[in-house]
Amino acid sequence: MITFDNVSMHYNSGVSALEDVSFEIKDGDFVFLVGPSGAGKTTILRLILRELTPSTGTVAVDEFVPSEKSFKDIHKLRRSMGVIFQDFKILPDKNVRENISMSLKVSGYSNQYIKEEVERALELVGLPEKMEMFPMQLSAGEQQRVAIARAIVGERKIILADEPTGNLDPKTSWEIMKIFKKLEKTKTIILATHNADIVNSMQRRVIVMKGGKLAKDMKKGGYDF
Amino acid sequence: MNSIFTSIRRTPYQSMASFLILFFTLFLSLFFFSLISFFHGILGYVETKPQVTIYFQTETREADISRIKRDIENTGKVASATYMSKESALEIYQDLNRDNPLLLEMVSADILPPSLEVYTTRPEYLQDIATFASGQNIVDEVVFQRDVVDKIVSVTNTMRLISISILVVLILVSFMVLMTTSAFKIALKKEEIQLLRLIGASRFYVRAPFLNEGVFFGFVSGTAAFSIFYGVFFYFRSFFDSYLLGISELPFFGLEAYNLYVWPPTAEYIGLSYLMTITFGISIAYVGTFLATSKYIGD
Repeated sequence: MITFDNVSMHYNSGVSALEDVSFEIKDGDFVFLVGPSGAGKTTILRLILRELTPSTGTVAVDEFVPSEKSFKDIHKLRRSMGVIFQDFKILPDKNVRENISMSLKVSGYSNQYIKEEVERALELVGLPEKMEMFPMQLSAGEQQRVAIARAIVGERKIILADEPTGNLDPKTSWEIMKIFKKLEKTKTIILATHNADIVNSMQRRVIVMKGGKLAKDMKKGGYDF
Repeated sequence: MNSIFTSIRRTPYQSMASFLILFFTLFLSLFFFSLISFFHGILGYVETKPQVTIYFQTETREADISRIKRDIENTGKVASATYMSKESALEIYQDLNRDNPLLLEMVSADILPPSLEVYTTRPEYLQDIATFASGQNIVDEVVFQRDVVDKIVSVTNTMRLISISILVVLILVSFMVLMTTSAFKIALKKEEIQLLRLIGASRFYVRAPFLNEGVFFGFVSGTAAFSIFYGVFFYFRSFFDSYLLGISELPFFGLEAYNLYVWPPTAEYIGLSYLMTITFGISIAYVGTFLATSKYIGD
């Protein structure tokens, strides 16, 4: 369960990224975060990840309260989540297997478990045969699949995706969304996107952000702001 | 290990800078350590020698010397006083110069003075004995061994001060170089570090490769410094042998019970030097890298 309780975020420069935002996301929810650029979507994801701490209000993720200034278990919090970025953030000098297994190594899993998990994740994203390839040898869509595989391995219950289809063509974007559909049975997914087609056709919960404020929270909504 | 070699391959100049500064610091540390240990050994050696030697005029009768010997012993400040006749002095002289017939020809017992070698029970009594002996009209010269000891103590203290000053500067420079090279390596891996932190790596997990590399450099530099130092030392061993002729052994800070001798260097002493060099090297490298990673790897 993720809870935002009257969360505001003001940067030192005076820019206000979030204003008094409150919502709850239950385990297993699939939530789209939509809104124009600068609306606060990425800030919400960064607050959940504890890349930022809010100026006021409380952010809670299960037993963790990352909004507390003295919060120490950052690595434990982050091990419960997988993150997917628009620019993939795949390390070019590591092959697919190494890129995915680093997500498990940081949690101290055994080599045998890592091997099995990497194979399972690659099977799920449809790239079992590309395990030893390097990012340079993969298409953009394939790189994003690797990033998804990296985000879902192990016991990561929450997937945070920041514009995961932003750099992909429509066909590849849909293939990526099919993977998210497969994952929604077992993971909580929060996906920030500008892709109206995807939001409209998926008909999942939509949180609409506008100027740092929560404009709408629809149970089964579309791309509407 | 693979990640260490990969990092060295990717940043050869920075790695070389880290290695060289550590090597230089450790080599000089070992040099100063050995030098100070050696001087302490010399100090210990000199302190076990007769501390006051009283030379009498050559024509002094043995009975007069015995009287003075008794007077000195009666002070209660003397551990032992040994009479050295002119003949005994000649024997020692001949023994020391047996390879030089010219010197042997020139000297006879008549020109060597009889002497008393006096050991005191406590160093502070030396002055009293020396003063007493100097007041006797048959005494020609009093060699007060404490002067030599004081000079060695003074030289050793000065050397220690100079060594510490140089080493402090070298250690600071080592820290700076290690921090700069580590910062460069961290900057090169910035993307990977950010990603690792985002996927839940602890700070220690991210730091570990840099710290391991630092420890590796400390170990390799220490081993290289040790090998080269002792390589040079053993190359010049025969020179030291001739220079220290007559000195059978110099203990390392009074630890002869553990077979620790600076001269001739025992395996235990060499082993201790190696252990200290690599421990020092690893400590400097670890602390330098730790400071760099603390500063440049954030949350």
